[in-house]
Amino acid sequence: MYASECARAASAEESRYRITVPIAPARNARVIALDARATAVARRLSDGPWANARFYTCENAPGGGPVDAAVLHGLDGAPAMLDDLLRGTDVVVIIATDDSGGTQAAAIGRACGVRAITTAGVVLGDGFEADDAVAALRPYARVLLLSADESDAFELLRALRV
Amino acid sequence: MGEMFRQYWIPALLAEELPENDSPPVRVKLLSERLIAFRDSEGRYGLVDEFCAHRGASLWFGRNEGSGLRCPYHGWKYDVTGQCVEVPSEADNSSFCENVKLTAYPLVKVGDILWTHMGDPARRPDLPEFEFAHVPPEQTYTSKRWQQCNWLQAFEGGIDSSHVTFLHSGGLKSDPLFKGAKGNEYNLNDTKPFFEVVESEGGLFVGARRNAEEGNYYWRITPWVMPAFTMVPPRGDHPVHGHFWVPIDDENCWTYSFDYHPVRPLTTAERQAMMDGYGIHSKNIPGTYRPVANMDNDYLIDREAQKRGETYSGVAGIAMQDASLQESMGPIVDRSKERLVPADSGIIKARQRLRKAAIALRDEGVTPPGVDTAHHRVRSAAVVLPAAESFLDSCRDAVKATPGVRHASI
Ligand code: FES
Ligand SMILES: [Fe+2]
Repeated sequence: MYASECARAASAEESRYRITVPIAPARNARVIALDARATAVARRLSDGPWANARFYTCENAPGGGPVDAAVLHGLDGAPAMLDDLLRGTDVVVIIATDDSGGTQAAAIGRACGVRAITTAGVVLGDGFEADDAVAALRPYARVLLLSADESDAFELLRALRV
Repeated sequence: MGEMFRQYWIPALLAEELPENDSPPVRVKLLSERLIAFRDSEGRYGLVDEFCAHRGASLWFGRNEGSGLRCPYHGWKYDVTGQCVEVPSEADNSSFCENVKLTAYPLVKVGDILWTHMGDPARRPDLPEFEFAHVPPEQTYTSKRWQQCNWLQAFEGGIDSSHVTFLHSGGLKSDPLFKGAKGNEYNLNDTKPFFEVVESEGGLFVGARRNAEEGNYYWRITPWVMPAFTMVPPRGDHPVHGHFWVPIDDENCWTYSFDYHPVRPLTTAERQAMMDGYGIHSKNIPGTYRPVANMDNDYLIDREAQKRGETYSGVAGIAMQDASLQESMGPIVDRSKERLVPADSGIIKARQRLRKAAIALRDEGVTPPGVDTAHHRVRSAAVVLPAAESFLDSCRDAVKATPGVRHASI
C-alpha cells in the first residue's frame, strides 16, 4: 500500500510500466570540422553508429572567404554547399582544435542562426589554443564544450542521438 | 561508483545530530552500508557497523556511556574505533574482546558537518576544504533532506542550469533568499541561455550566459567538484549556496544544502528563512530530515498556486520543486529513454567524467579528481562581461575561494 499517488508512481515496480518506444534520431545532424586536427577527429567519429549524421570539413579554407563549395567538402572530398547540407537539419556540431577556422565558424554559425538550427561547438585543446575559434563560435553556439578530451565529441553526438 | 565515493571524505551527518557527549546514537546508512554514529563521553565521534558483533542486535538501542556504546542485549561494549572493550560473559581480564572489532570509519567535524572516509586508510586524503565549511560559524548554515532517488539524478539537477528559469521562476520574485538581485532581471528577460562547459581540475565549470545590456552578457557560473559537490551562482548580496549529494543506497540519497556568505555573518532574518525552508532548504518534519512536502502527500501540490503563477509546477519551494521531479523519474531513471539536447552538455560531460574516473580508478588505481583539497577551493559566480570575453579567463579569481574576499555576484 502506498500513501499517495506519487509514492506509488515513483516506485521501482511502477517504473517498469514506462512505455518503451524507439526514439527518433535527430534529423540530418551535421558535423563540420574546421581544421586539420578537427578533421582527423571527425574522420574517427564518422565510423560511429550514427543514424543520419554526416561529416564535413572546411579545413584549408582561406580565411575570410565565404563558406562555399570551394572550402566545404565531405570527408570523401566531394564538394558541398552549406545551403544544401543545412536543409532539414536539427543540429550542427562544429569541431575545432585551433584558431584557423574562426572565420568559417562565424559564417556557419550565422547561417545556422538564420535557419534556427541549434549549433553546438566542441573545441578540443589544452589550455587554450583556440581562443579565436571559441570567440567566433560564442554568439551562435547554444553550447560550447571546451575540452581536452576527444571522446567528449563522441559522447555529445551519442547523447544527441545523431 | 561506490569505490569512487570511498576515495573521498563525504558528509555522514550533521553535527547537530550528535549535539553533546553521550547523546543518543544515530542510524546512518551510507554507500549501502548500515552504520551507527555516536559521540562518546569524551566527545570523540565514532561511525561503526550498526549491528552488534555478538548476535546482531542494532546498536541504535545501545547505551552510550562510560566512553563507549554498550549493546543492551548482552552488554557487549564498543569504543569509537569499533573495538570491543567489554564482553561481560567472559572471565574477568579475558583477552577475548581484543579479537572483536566492528567495521568502523573515521568521523570528523568540519564546519556543521561530520565527515567520513569509507575507503582504504592508507589512501585517506586530507580533510575537506570547501569554503562553506571553513568560514566562521556565524557566516554559514547547512541543512539536509532525504531524497528518494538515486544520487546521480539528484546531482544532475545541480548542474542543470537550464531548468531554473522554468521550474524556479516563481522563487526568483518572491523567495527572501533570492529576490531583489539585479541578476534576476537578466534571468527572467532571457529564458534561452547559452552554455559553455569547461573542464576544471576537480570537475567542471558550467557557464550559462544570458543577454545583459547592449554588448554584454550575464554569466552564471556553476562549479562541480567531483564526485558530488555543486554550487549555485549567487544573487546580489544574498548568501551563496550549494549542495552535496550523498548516496544512501542505489535508490536514496541525502541532499546537503548549505548557504554561506564569504565575508559577513548571516543576518537573523536570513538564518531564520533558511531554517523555515526558504531558498534551497526544505521544511522538514520536526525531528526528522524528511521534507514536510514529500511523495507520500503528493508534495502538497497546489494547482491553484500553479494557475496563479506563484509556483511554476504547483509545488512550493526550490528544494521540493527539484526533488519532486527528480523522484518522479523513478528510483533510478532509465537514461536510455532520454532525449538530450545541446543545452544538457554539462550533464553529458559530467557523466562521462565520472565514468572515466571510475574506470581509471578500477583499472589503474588512479586517484580521481576532487580528492586533492586544492580542488575544493572553488566558488560560483554571477558576473556581467563584455560579449567577446571568455567567462573563465575573466573569472579565474572569481571562481577561486579566497578567504575574506567577497564573492563575485550581481
Ligand atoms: S522538460 Fe525536462 S524533463 Fe521534462
Ligand atoms: Fe533546481
